[in-house]
Amino acid sequence: MGGFGNTTGFTNVPSKGRMYQYSNFDQRFIDERVEQFRSQTERYLAGELTDDQFQQLRLRNGLYIQRLAPMLRIAVPYGILSATQLKALARICRDYDKGYGHLSTRQNVQINWPELIDVPDILADLAKVQMHAIQTSGSCIRNITTDQFAGVADDELIDPRPWCEVMRQWSTFHPEFDWLPRKFKIAVNGAESDRAATHVHDIGIHIRPGPSGEQLFDFLVGGGLGRTPAIGARIRDGLPERHLLTYLEAILRVYNRYGRRDNKYKARIKILVRAMTPEGFREKVDAEWERIKDSPSTLPEAELDRIKACFEPHPYASLEDETDLLAAARLANPAFNNWLSNNVAPHKRPGYAIVTLSTKPTGVPPGDVTDIQMEAVADWSERFGFGEVRISHEQNFILPDVPQRDLETLFRLADEQGLAQSNVGLLTNVICCPGGDYCSLANAKSIPVAEAIQSRFDDYDYLHDLGPLDLNISGCMNACGHHHVGHIGILGVDKRGAEFYQVSLGGNQALDASLGKIVGPSFSRAEVPDVIEKILDVYLKSRFEGEEFLHCYRRIGIEPFREQVYADAG
Amino acid sequence: MPTLVRDLKIAEDDWRLVDEGPAAPGLIAPLDAWRENPGGAGVWLRSDTEIDAVADEVLAAPVIAIEFPAFADGRGLSMGALLRSRHGYQGELRAFGEVVPDLTEYMHRCGFNAFVMASERDAEAAIASIGHMSDHYQASVREPVPPFRRFTA
Repeated sequence: MGGFGNTTGFTNVPSKGRMYQYSNFDQRFIDERVEQFRSQTERYLAGELTDDQFQQLRLRNGLYIQRLAPMLRIAVPYGILSATQLKALARICRDYDKGYGHLSTRQNVQINWPELIDVPDILADLAKVQMHAIQTSGSCIRNITTDQFAGVADDELIDPRPWCEVMRQWSTFHPEFDWLPRKFKIAVNGAESDRAATHVHDIGIHIRPGPSGEQLFDFLVGGGLGRTPAIGARIRDGLPERHLLTYLEAILRVYNRYGRRDNKYKARIKILVRAMTPEGFREKVDAEWERIKDSPSTLPEAELDRIKACFEPHPYASLEDETDLLAAARLANPAFNNWLSNNVAPHKRPGYAIVTLSTKPTGVPPGDVTDIQMEAVADWSERFGFGEVRISHEQNFILPDVPQRDLETLFRLADEQGLAQSNVGLLTNVICCPGGDYCSLANAKSIPVAEAIQSRFDDYDYLHDLGPLDLNISGCMNACGHHHVGHIGILGVDKRGAEFYQVSLGGNQALDASLGKIVGPSFSRAEVPDVIEKILDVYLKSRFEGEEFLHCYRRIGIEPFREQVYADAG
Repeated sequence: MPTLVRDLKIAEDDWRLVDEGPAAPGLIAPLDAWRENPGGAGVWLRSDTEIDAVADEVLAAPVIAIEFPAFADGRGLSMGALLRSRHGYQGELRAFGEVVPDLTEYMHRCGFNAFVMASERDAEAAIASIGHMSDHYQASVREPVPPFRRFTA
């Protein structure tokens, strides 16, 4: 059978560099796609496509019709942006929206107020800076996420970014796997800590070095949040790197053929894995893989070299760690001291640091950032780094390459922009979905709950004394706010037309992942801050010195919390 | 008016799809009926058919039609791809049911060469959508060699 059109002149060689730059193959692909969506939108506006038909097509381009307006979700592959791209996003928020955007838990950026008729132009503007909105919604393989510290973390074993790019290409308009039973999320981790929540993804991949220099993949399948939360089952250890795509193909083919399509609440792969049992599922995948494992989709070494060459290290200066300077600054400036402790992580290279800019000051919906803030972050990334910005699944910005000697200056600038909250890893670094204020699926609002909690607990010393605490809020069972893996989770539920909130304890997204357990009957919105306070009181009274909330909970169990929370309920 | 697209052109449909047997030349019959009387008839398969189990049997059919029972149901894509690439089916592979223009590109890449469209306008849109993208990232039935093996640096 004939191949595709003219390919002469297309070398498919992206520029070597430090962030992935499109090859002319990539650019042509995106440009053609924009024109295709433009024609689909025109056909819809002309009445040639029904709402249902257009829905599926716009979802493939990240466009939802929400409660108040369309919402456009822009892909940020594995959460990495250049300064140029972030500036373009700021401009789009200003020109087509109300001047702000929202960082999502899939490391993407959402804008909430575009006009449908403008969307093809927005996509064309994005294409000019090598961006798109492909597969950010719909029943297809979504943006592949990874460690927000990829490539710079000091506990990294393998840089996951080239693998994310290999999978980004493979999953973009896959001929067979773009019309799955349900959405499909893949997360990749290559560090000792799991900052990518791989245990609660449809597929979680751990990359590690093998004995002969080859890299190996461990596969977890069927994790997820939503109304049936589950921790992924390990179905393959040590898959050699060249087999990555054929093994994914085998998993996706089994899911595409056998996943349920009769009930969207039972359509995720976790339900199939549970129904078949993990062993049964693995056997099916292995049988399929045996038949395709050395097919042309097996990755040749040249391809791996091609992609890895796009992620070369930045030209780091040879700096020394600024231990004395920082120690002095800590003493002189308590606010800076707090920020250093919570928001600054160690870097692979001496003299550098990784900075998390919190988007979660009190009074602002978590993850919301203005055009001005985006431009400021882009500028800082150039001034204090190599023009690279990350988005974390905790909905914060990351500056990955900040010289330690510039940290205090950056802290001051970030503080002026409201981006220097020292709450990373603390209670008020809430993960929160857009909730009933914006989302038509939500049972309840989530942003006002986040704000009420942030206002109640605004004393830094108290927060710091509490130590590491993840509080996650979802406005409905779809769990976009990842409430199941919050140490404290809050879920909006509908009780005879009123908004109520169910509280769970003991969830955890790290390597020893666990799902939260529900405390008991739900609460009204007004009660939530009191309930959280009672939970924290139990912890503070029960903990051993230095014992973190999660460990304390695991030791004493849910009962003491339950008793305290419902003590006055009569 | 249902309109057939075959090999990227609008074509006269010389087959008639029937819901029950007996199968006969010129008819596309369901699998059970076709098994009883396969000579000269086409066969149609439901989207939950175990394709690897029936492939050897149906390879002789001049037409295999696969049902797409709902607009976003992609099971037929896997069936088509396996029939062509794993089992080497050479005859007409036809999509029917909820076949809308923008899915035909995926179907085409999975080896379908005939599409029963709801109207002539849809048929024209389907032909246009199949030609729209110059190339893709993956191996497919149409282009079994992925770009990373076709392009050399």
